[in-house]
Amino acid sequence: MNLRYLFLLAGFVFTFPVFGQLERKLASEKQDVDLIFHAPRHINLLTVEPLDKKALHFAIMHTFGTLDGGIQELWGLDNGANIQFSFEYALSDKFSLGAARQGLDKVYNIYGRYHLLKQTQDNQMPFSLSLMGGAAVNTSNYEFLQNDAPDFIERTSYAFQVMAARKFNEKLSVQISPMLAYFVDPNPIFFIEGDQNLYLALGFSGKYKVTGKSSLTLQWIPNLNNDLRNNVGFGIDLEAGGHVFQMYFVTSQFLNEQYLLAGGNGTLGDEFRIGFNVNRIFATGRKKRMQ
Amino acid sequence: MKRLLILALTMNFLMLPVETFAQAFKTESGTVEFLSKASLNEFTGVSNTLNGLVDLDKNMFDFFIDLNTIKTGIGLRDKHMRENYLETKKFPFAEFTGKIDALPNLTKGQSQNVTAKGKFKIHGVEREISVPGKLTMVSENEMKLEAKFKVMLSDYNIDIPTVVFYELSEEQVVTIEAILKKK
Repeated sequence: MNLRYLFLLAGFVFTFPVFGQLERKLASEKQDVDLIFHAPRHINLLTVEPLDKKALHFAIMHTFGTLDGGIQELWGLDNGANIQFSFEYALSDKFSLGAARQGLDKVYNIYGRYHLLKQTQDNQMPFSLSLMGGAAVNTSNYEFLQNDAPDFIERTSYAFQVMAARKFNEKLSVQISPMLAYFVDPNPIFFIEGDQNLYLALGFSGKYKVTGKSSLTLQWIPNLNNDLRNNVGFGIDLEAGGHVFQMYFVTSQFLNEQYLLAGGNGTLGDEFRIGFNVNRIFATGRKKRMQ
Repeated sequence: MKRLLILALTMNFLMLPVETFAQAFKTESGTVEFLSKASLNEFTGVSNTLNGLVDLDKNMFDFFIDLNTIKTGIGLRDKHMRENYLETKKFPFAEFTGKIDALPNLTKGQSQNVTAKGKFKIHGVEREISVPGKLTMVSENEMKLEAKFKVMLSDYNIDIPTVVFYELSEEQVVTIEAILKKK
C-alpha cells in the first residue's frame, strides 16, 4: 500500500520540471558573511570587519571624565576628553595599515590588520579570524626630568592581538580577542597604572542587533597576568549611511590598544566614563563598473 | 502493484517536456542593471549572472538572479544593500515568471517589441507586473532580449533610509539585456 504512494510521489517528483521553471540556484554557496560588526572598531577594540581594497577608515574616538562628578561636572563631560584619531587604509581586501594618535601621553601608534579567515554563509568556515600588530611611541615632553627623561626606545610600546569572531545569527555576533601589550619601560611618569612590561588579556566583544541599523554593544577585557581592574564597557552602535556612531559607557579612559591593557580601569558604576566614536569609511578608487 | 508502477512511469513520460522540437532559449549570463537616481546621488548596480529561459512553444518567460552578485562599485554599500535593504540571506533571488502578449515569429535579423506579463518577486513580495521589451533573432540559435522596467521599492516592502549619504531613490530603473541560446 505504501509503495503505491511512493510511486505516485516518485511520479510527481521526477516530473517537476514540467512546470518548466528554471531551478533557483545561488551563484556561489561560499558567500562571505557580511558585517559581523558595524565597523572596524567596536567600543575600544578592533574587530574582524575588513575594509575593501583602497578603502580608508577614519575613526575619531573620545572618552570623557568619570560619571561620579554628577551634574556639576555634567557626568564627566567637563573634564576634557581623551581623543584618538585613527586612519586605516586597505592595501588589499585582506591587509590594511593604520595610524592613530591618542591625546593622553601623545601616543602615535602604527598598526596593521590582516584578515586570515572569513566566516562563510554555508558554515564551511564557521568564524572569521584576523591578526593585529602595532607599535607606538609616547611623544610627551619629559624635558623637565632632565637626565632621567626616557629615550625613544623607552617610550615605545607594542601590541599584538588575534581576533576571532562569529555571527551566530542575524542578531548576535561575538568576538574573542587574546591580546598582548608590551612596554619597554613602564615609567610611572606615563599615564599607566601597571608597572610591568608585559600585559596579557582576553577581550570579549558582543553585538546584539536591535533594529536593522542599531545594535547594543558589550565589551569585557579581563586581565590575565596582573591585578589591574578589568575593562567593562557597554553601549549602542548606530549606523547612518556611511557613518557608524558608537556611544558607550566604559571603565577606561584609554583608546590606544597598549594603554587599554596597562592603563588601569575605574570601578563599575561611579567610575564609568561616557565614550563616543564616529567611524567613517571612504571608498577611494571605485571599481569601474563592468559593461 | 505493477499497474501502478506503469501508471507512474507513464505519467512521468506524459508530463516530461518535449524538448527535441522546442523553441526554447536559455542563458546564465544575462546582464541586469539598476539605476537609482536620487536628488543627491545617482548610482548603478550591475550583475552579469541573470539566468533566463524563454520558451516560445509554451509561451513562458522565466528569469531569476542571485541578488548577492549585484555590485555597485562600493563594497560597503553592497554589504548594506544585502544586509539592510534586500535582506539577501532571507530572500536571495529576484525572479520573474510570465508570458508575452503576442508570440513572435522571427527569422534571423528581425526584431519585435513585446510585452511580458507575469509575477515579479523580490524581498519576499510577489506582484503582477507588465514589462515592455524587445526580442531580436541575432542568429539561427541566438535570441537577444532587451527590457526596461521600473520598480518602486515601497511596493516590495524595502524601506528607504532617511539619512543615507549615498541617497537612495524610491524608484529603481531596471534594465535587462541577455543573449539567449537555443537549448
